[in-house]
Amino acid sequence: MRRAERISREAATRIFIAAILLLLPGVEVSAATPTVTAVLDNSNTAVGQPVQIQIKIVGASDARAPGEIVVDGLEIRYSGKSQLVEGRNFQFTQSLIYSYTVMPLKAGTFKIPAQAIQAGGTTLRTPELTLQVSDSGPRSSRGGRTNEPIDPSKIAFVELILSKSNAYVGEMLPAVVRLGFNVRTPVESLGNGVEITGQGFTTQKMREPRQTIETINGRTYQTFTFKTAISPARSGRIEIGPVQVNPVVRIPRTTRNPGIPRDLFDLNDPFMDNFFRDPSFAPSSPHELKLKSEPVTLEVKAVPPNAPAGFGGAVGNFTLTVDAKPKSAKVGDPFTVTATLHGRGNFDRVTAPVFEDERGWHKYPPSADFKQDDDVGISGAKTFETVLSPNERKENIPAQLFAFFDPVKEQYVTLRGDPIPVRVEGGAAPSPSPSASVAQIPAVAPAASPASAIKPQGILHQLDFGTSRQTFVPLFARRSFWLAQLLPLLALLVFVAWKLRQAHLQNRDAQRLEALQHEAADLQRSLRRSDATPQEYFARASRAVQLKAALAKNLDPNAVDAEVAASAFRADEETRARLRRLFEKSDEARYSGGQNGIRLVPPESRKEVLDLIENLRA
Amino acid sequence: MRPGILLLCIGLAATSVFASAGAVRGEANPVFTKANEDYAAERFQEAIEGYQSLVESGQRSANLFYNLGNAWFRLGNFGEAILNYERALALEPHHPESEANLRVARDEARALELRKSAVERYLEAGTPTQYSILAAISFWLALFAAARLFFLRRRSGTLVTLAIVSAGFGAGAIWALYALETGSKGKALAIVTGKDVEAKLATADNANSVLALPPGSEIKVLNQRGDWVYAALPNDLRGWIPAKSAERVRMDAL
Repeated sequence: MRRAERISREAATRIFIAAILLLLPGVEVSAATPTVTAVLDNSNTAVGQPVQIQIKIVGASDARAPGEIVVDGLEIRYSGKSQLVEGRNFQFTQSLIYSYTVMPLKAGTFKIPAQAIQAGGTTLRTPELTLQVSDSGPRSSRGGRTNEPIDPSKIAFVELILSKSNAYVGEMLPAVVRLGFNVRTPVESLGNGVEITGQGFTTQKMREPRQTIETINGRTYQTFTFKTAISPARSGRIEIGPVQVNPVVRIPRTTRNPGIPRDLFDLNDPFMDNFFRDPSFAPSSPHELKLKSEPVTLEVKAVPPNAPAGFGGAVGNFTLTVDAKPKSAKVGDPFTVTATLHGRGNFDRVTAPVFEDERGWHKYPPSADFKQDDDVGISGAKTFETVLSPNERKENIPAQLFAFFDPVKEQYVTLRGDPIPVRVEGGAAPSPSPSASVAQIPAVAPAASPASAIKPQGILHQLDFGTSRQTFVPLFARRSFWLAQLLPLLALLVFVAWKLRQAHLQNRDAQRLEALQHEAADLQRSLRRSDATPQEYFARASRAVQLKAALAKNLDPNAVDAEVAASAFRADEETRARLRRLFEKSDEARYSGGQNGIRLVPPESRKEVLDLIENLRA
Repeated sequence: MRPGILLLCIGLAATSVFASAGAVRGEANPVFTKANEDYAAERFQEAIEGYQSLVESGQRSANLFYNLGNAWFRLGNFGEAILNYERALALEPHHPESEANLRVARDEARALELRKSAVERYLEAGTPTQYSILAAISFWLALFAAARLFFLRRRSGTLVTLAIVSAGFGAGAIWALYALETGSKGKALAIVTGKDVEAKLATADNANSVLALPPGSEIKVLNQRGDWVYAALPNDLRGWIPAKSAERVRMDAL
């Protein structure tokens, strides 16, 4: 309950105060006498440099400002109106501000006359203003608008930092370039970039810089840190640098006029102050700076002269690991041997390790792959892949050697990868290998033995001439081969022709037999009829016997007589005699006409003839 | 049927006779004899010139190339020695002396060989000549069997089988011929005869190297462009080498 009462009481108090606040200004404004002031934001200017007039009417809610102010030599234009409510000790004042832009058209001293302002039912007059206009720009003593040379050291700095002052030729030295800009002069661009001048050394390509904000000697700087590596190319004293860079920065212009109050309306508003002091919002102009660092001197020593065999110029500190795939193969098949060099140094001078003993191997050029693990390529791992092909049986892939100079120990180091056990099948037994040493690395390409070293018994003897005029043309491409094919082709054609003729002949015989069978069947039917004369009947009967014998023995029917028919059918004596009688009756009836007068053949005779013919079997 | 078989036998016999024509036993050649005498007297250069004159006159034989290879071998030119052994083997694929000496020369030269496929190794049991004759005989057998079947009123199972088997053998023989001709020992086989030969990635002396080819190494010529040949190399690589650095095994007919 108490809490609810307190809340309601506080709410009532707030409403009351708000009502008072709302009522008071009206009372105050209506009670106050309007006043007017007029100021120039700069009473000294130059031709073409505009200034502003602000006419402030205090204590009036409505006023009528002059629409146009005419002064010879000045072009004055109305640029806007604003209202301002100020409260002090619960006394609120309303102000109206009219702004005009004044553009000087010529040099001289100009007086801007008093202007009549209608406000609160009265006429107010502004004070007369004086403006000095010169031909050139304002002088430096007037404040921010100055062309005096800028001191770059107060705005930015650049420095080169080397990790050490002594090095060996080829050694990679980390280097850092730091570039700082006062945060009040923000950098617009780094120009053409950072360049380390000097001779006798090489630098790695610089990557994108790292940006930080640092406070140095009480000033805040935006810093850019570039990392690179420097490698001396010759011995002696080398001057690295200076580092040169031409950045473009934005230098703020001073906009405040010491001739007028810092705060035009004396508000002392900290927000307004910070807002206009912020370089991001303050008007500024670009300026190119020429920055140059101090050079750094480097004492460079040459690597010692007693370099081991296989030293290719690598300087640093490395470790070697080796591997091979597959672990077994046949003679002539490839092994891929991998050698990886880890560490820190000049990897661009790191070459593939050499094999301790290459006898019996055929080596192909290695491939290389470098993976850096820092920004500048000093640290990482370089992997070499070499394809080796055994020419004979082998048990190991030979050891690999890599030599480099260690600048810390100041001596050469030779790394030796262990021989890799492998199994090589087929081929000849391994030839005895000479004792291998680091200093005597065999040549990469296998050299042919000289003629004097050839053993005559190594090859077989000469032969006699043998066959002559052999040809490299394969048999199927020779003309004789294709000519030879004509013979089987001819044989095939003859075979086909013979088969075709055979078929044709078989076809003609079949037709003849069919005709004979047909005739025989007709005769058989006619012999059963009783309408034939004896002459016709016996002629038909003998013809039927001839046809039957011809069909049975594939004979000409006209050449068949009684004896031939009897033989064809292997007839007994009785049948033979009956056949003879049949042929005789046929001849008799045909040639003598002995049967004339008899009109028909008796049935007994017909039956006898039919029995005879039907019982003939081959 | 009998006359057909007779005709077929006559045709096939004629094919074989024609096929083996050309391999004629040669008479004693005085140039060859003189070259052999030079070789025996270790005048290898003179022996090479004698053998070479016979090669250029067209009197080519496996023994001639074998002897020529021996002479080059004794002079220490393993590239030429291997080339001539390979030529002897191209003429007589199972020339035993050439096979033996080729092995020795390759070991001496550390020459690289083209990889043979398993099929190719199997097919090398026969020679191209044998496959050609087999293809011809199989073809005609199949054709005669088909013709006979055509004229028969009732199909014969034996004849059908004979036709199918013969056709299969013929097709197999033709495929074997193609595989051998386009294989590592085929018509495109060449031998590196130059020294310090390196196969390049492009047709330029300063192009990147693909493979170092010792003398006597085998390559398979795929294409020729000007003074360069594009070749399949040992270890399944490919590259360009100067045309003058290698010679084809099969010589052009005169």
